[in-house]
Amino acid sequence: MRIVWLMVGKDLRLEWRTREIITTMGLLALLLVIVLGAARSDPESAPAAMWVTYAFAATLGFTRTFSLERDHMTALRLAPIDRGAIFAAKALANWFMLTVVQVISLPIFGALFTEKIWTRLGALALPMALGGAGLAAVGTLFGGLITQVRLREALLPILMLPVALPLLIAAVSATTAILDGQSLPAIGAQLQLLGAFDILFVAASLVLFDFVLEE
Amino acid sequence: MLVGAAWALLAAPDEVFQGFPQRIMYVHVPSVMTAYAALAVVFVGSVLFLWRRDARMDRLAHSAAELAVLFITMTLLSGAIWGKPVWGTWWTWDARLTTTLILWFIYVGYLIVRAWAPGSRGARAAAVIGIVGVLDIPLIHWSAILLRTLHPQPTVFRPEGPALPASMLAPLVVNIVAFLVMFVALLTVRVRQERTLSALVEVLEGR
Repeated sequence: MRIVWLMVGKDLRLEWRTREIITTMGLLALLLVIVLGAARSDPESAPAAMWVTYAFAATLGFTRTFSLERDHMTALRLAPIDRGAIFAAKALANWFMLTVVQVISLPIFGALFTEKIWTRLGALALPMALGGAGLAAVGTLFGGLITQVRLREALLPILMLPVALPLLIAAVSATTAILDGQSLPAIGAQLQLLGAFDILFVAASLVLFDFVLEE
Repeated sequence: MLVGAAWALLAAPDEVFQGFPQRIMYVHVPSVMTAYAALAVVFVGSVLFLWRRDARMDRLAHSAAELAVLFITMTLLSGAIWGKPVWGTWWTWDARLTTTLILWFIYVGYLIVRAWAPGSRGARAAAVIGIVGVLDIPLIHWSAILLRTLHPQPTVFRPEGPALPASMLAPLVVNIVAFLVMFVALLTVRVRQERTLSALVEVLEGR
């Protein structure tokens, strides 16, 4: 577990110094909010616009999950640590960056779409965190898978979005219900689906990541 | 030989295909069952490939994935053609329809990875996608039910008619069997083709 945190710290420290991924992810997210808001800015469109933005920001950022190691994969493979730990560290770092994007784009959603976001902030945090975690899990698994494949920037959205669709449907529907003023127990089914998705994909990735990193 | 048997079986119930849109069932239902059978083969082949490192299993999964995409496409197209006269719409966000459509996207992605990343790296990547795609099926179905209950559609859903009369059941079963036999036949041919290809590659690289 300590190794996982060390690796998360390393990735985030490097990201803090270059700010490559977070800048591109954040800018794309802001642009998407503006484009979607210009297309339709009624409150009913807010949940869909939010999750479309997060999903696309995720596909952009997670392509670069292993960008640092691409030329040094052997070092990562030889490191005397469990492959599951590598997955956990990368997924946590990705989740953190997606959360940053979610947090910085929220005020714009509030300004352009609906002010209810402010009054329901506490309840919104749960589906946003669960949805973000699921996107990070799927994105890290597939991001690792295609690190050394040609055209990976084009490939990640094609692979990740269909698999993540159940998560996005549940997240949009939970966000809609919360913005309509419903309480958390009322959206139990959506939260269960989000939780099930997170658990399934974290578990599957921990098992499968052994094969992802192989030469 | 297997191909011949499949074609014979396919030609036999051919006379049933006349007139009514309902007869699309004889293509639609066997297609979807074959598609899911193919996905099961992809899943088993992928697991065994990652576990045992057996290139034969990889070729099996690859061939089955191609056929899965083919039969899912047939399911979606025949379903749309059937849906238009019966439901009054080409498409509706019904749980089964949504699940099938998303599966199509996942396995087309699988084939793209195979095409763009040849060799053992692509094989492993594809195996992981093959496994993940099948694991995703219950979640997709669950989420599609959620979607439908939250946004009820005015369109008519699958009319749950009475159990199929024997006069329809018999040709349906014949067709399901025929489709499955055809699937096995095509799979065998495709696997053999892949085996020849990899043998060829080995010979060429050995020189």
